[in-house]
Amino acid sequence: MTEPADRGTWQLIAARDFWVRLRERSFLISTLLNVGVISILVLARASGGFSGAPSFDLGTVGGTDVVAVADGAASLGGTDITVRVHPYPDRAAADAALMDGSIDAVVTGTQLYGLQSVDTRLQALVQTSAHQAAVDAVLAKHHVPEAQREAVSQTDPLALGALQPAPPDQQNNAAVAFIGVLLLYGQLFGYGLWVATGVIEEKASRIVEMLLSAVRPKQLLAGKIIGIGVLGLAQLITIAGFAICLALVTGTHLVHASAIWAALLVIGWFILGYAFYASLFAAAGSLVSRMEELQNVIVPINLTILVSFIISIGSLQDPNSTLAVVASILPVSAALAMPVRIVLGAATGWQIALSLTLLIGSAIALVPIGARLYAGAVLRTGSRVKLRDAWRAA
Amino acid sequence: MLELLDLHRRFSDVVALDGVSFGVPEGRIVGFVGRNGAGKTTAMRIALGVLDADEGEVRWRGAPVDTASRRRFGYMPEERGLYPKMRVLEQLVYLARLRGMAKGDARASAGRLLETLEVVGDPGARVESLSLGNQQRVQLAAALVHRPDVLVLDEPFSGLDPVGVDVLSGVLRRAARSEGAAVVFSSHQLDLVERLCDEVVLIDRGRIAANGTIEELRASRERNLWEIRLRGVTTAWWEAIPGVTPAQRDDGVVVLELAPSTDPQRVLDVARSAGDVLAFGPVEPSLQDLFREVVS
Repeated sequence: MTEPADRGTWQLIAARDFWVRLRERSFLISTLLNVGVISILVLARASGGFSGAPSFDLGTVGGTDVVAVADGAASLGGTDITVRVHPYPDRAAADAALMDGSIDAVVTGTQLYGLQSVDTRLQALVQTSAHQAAVDAVLAKHHVPEAQREAVSQTDPLALGALQPAPPDQQNNAAVAFIGVLLLYGQLFGYGLWVATGVIEEKASRIVEMLLSAVRPKQLLAGKIIGIGVLGLAQLITIAGFAICLALVTGTHLVHASAIWAALLVIGWFILGYAFYASLFAAAGSLVSRMEELQNVIVPINLTILVSFIISIGSLQDPNSTLAVVASILPVSAALAMPVRIVLGAATGWQIALSLTLLIGSAIALVPIGARLYAGAVLRTGSRVKLRDAWRAA
Repeated sequence: MLELLDLHRRFSDVVALDGVSFGVPEGRIVGFVGRNGAGKTTAMRIALGVLDADEGEVRWRGAPVDTASRRRFGYMPEERGLYPKMRVLEQLVYLARLRGMAKGDARASAGRLLETLEVVGDPGARVESLSLGNQQRVQLAAALVHRPDVLVLDEPFSGLDPVGVDVLSGVLRRAARSEGAAVVFSSHQLDLVERLCDEVVLIDRGRIAANGTIEELRASRERNLWEIRLRGVTTAWWEAIPGVTPAQRDDGVVVLELAPSTDPQRVLDVARSAGDVLAFGPVEPSLQDLFREVVS
């Protein structure tokens, strides 16, 4: 039987857990840290990948034919790739310019070289231009009429296609997925840990007996998990919102409809993953009475989340590997492994549906199990409570 | 009336409670005494619903205790506990609201209690910054803040200084007398229990060994003890009287146990013929004596 007054109990508990932690310094630090890391990632992409069209400075050493090859490369580049040509009187001068970084590569009658290497795009332009110049020379030697020469050099380029085209913006999506999985990992682990330490704090300070004389263990557990979870969610939304705003301001192409969609995806999967892990963290925390013992009981959960994270990072490269697919479906790892595959466009509909069903189903199944372990162990202070004893005591 | 009815509880192979029954009437203070490990804390935890009984039940005003009636209980656990980093007033308000009190009432009640209990310090201070004695008083305030119908206090006097003991005694008396609460507390300070309590429940090895007012407990004792002080007499002068056995001998003072048929006046006559009688009278056993007798 539930009394009307009971309905507010878990909300009171949740509100306390929310506000107490919001005022803690560690919350402020973790928020700032997250915002800092995200800023670095977003700004790095803003300056690196998307500083406009690529441009090169090409030095020449040799006669007009060499300069013609360089000019040819520049005209081939057109407006997509800018090539500026800088003639040098001899190799020594060109090499000096290469050394001080004022040019990217040097072309001579027989060579194309850079300081350490030559950008492949520049290579392609110069090689094509050189090849065309050679063909032109041969055609000229055989007095081929101008019109025919044009026909040779102006062949229609082959149409480009792909049997399995990569989704557009794959690079952006990978970057978004990486940031997303990093955030998810931090939130799931950090807030799960907060649930465990919150449980131990109440056990260690013995206030749990006062609390349990007023409320049921399930209310206490539900209030704690929801209060901390809402804080985690609020922080995640803040960070994601900040990242999107920052990207908008700096004009990074990270911001797309798809990036905002990915942010929503991360938030959704955080809720599911947190629901799955939080009751485990709470049950683990209730087994011990001192903070020092926390590490011993959460190692299995820790490792599970860490391994899921590593698999998710791996699946950024190959989202359809067997490992990535299996990990994205199993509930223990789905919360980290599946969103990556969804963002990359690799997950099929049935995989997503199966993964969601399993994760939601097992999260629902875990709540009463975690609550029972919690209720059985939370009042037992002293040495670590065995899982079996906690199960039986409830 | 709070009733504990035939409570049984085992912890693996240890029997903590073996059929414990007693009642705490409204407006009365009941002292719950017994040796360490006799089952006091277990019985109190079951009354508060923190622990489940294997058998038996707890009733309040005739009905089995449920979540709603338990909200009207106040509890001070043996293992004291508050959120160390939470502020005093905030914490009391929170605990009162968990028991269904409105925020404004909780705030007013907490403020008043901090004054009544003479908690020294800023109500906005963190609990951990208070002295242990003050923390103890805040703990008591946490049990009282929602103006409970039932007060269950596990060793509330341990760790209090004499002033604190007086303050707490006054608070308990007022809770019972003025507000009509049913108050039960455990204590090892038997003189205090004797002074403060209307009734005493004595538990021994998981069973109730004695239960009633102190007078009833005394009356239930069959021993009839008399103390006689004689000047300068060392002989066993009482040996000639039938139905008299010495219970205690200490220099000039002798405590004699008289058979019901033996007339104390006859003992006095014999004593006077043996020497100068300085004092003669019945021995009122203290709770301490009763306690020793029951648990030995």
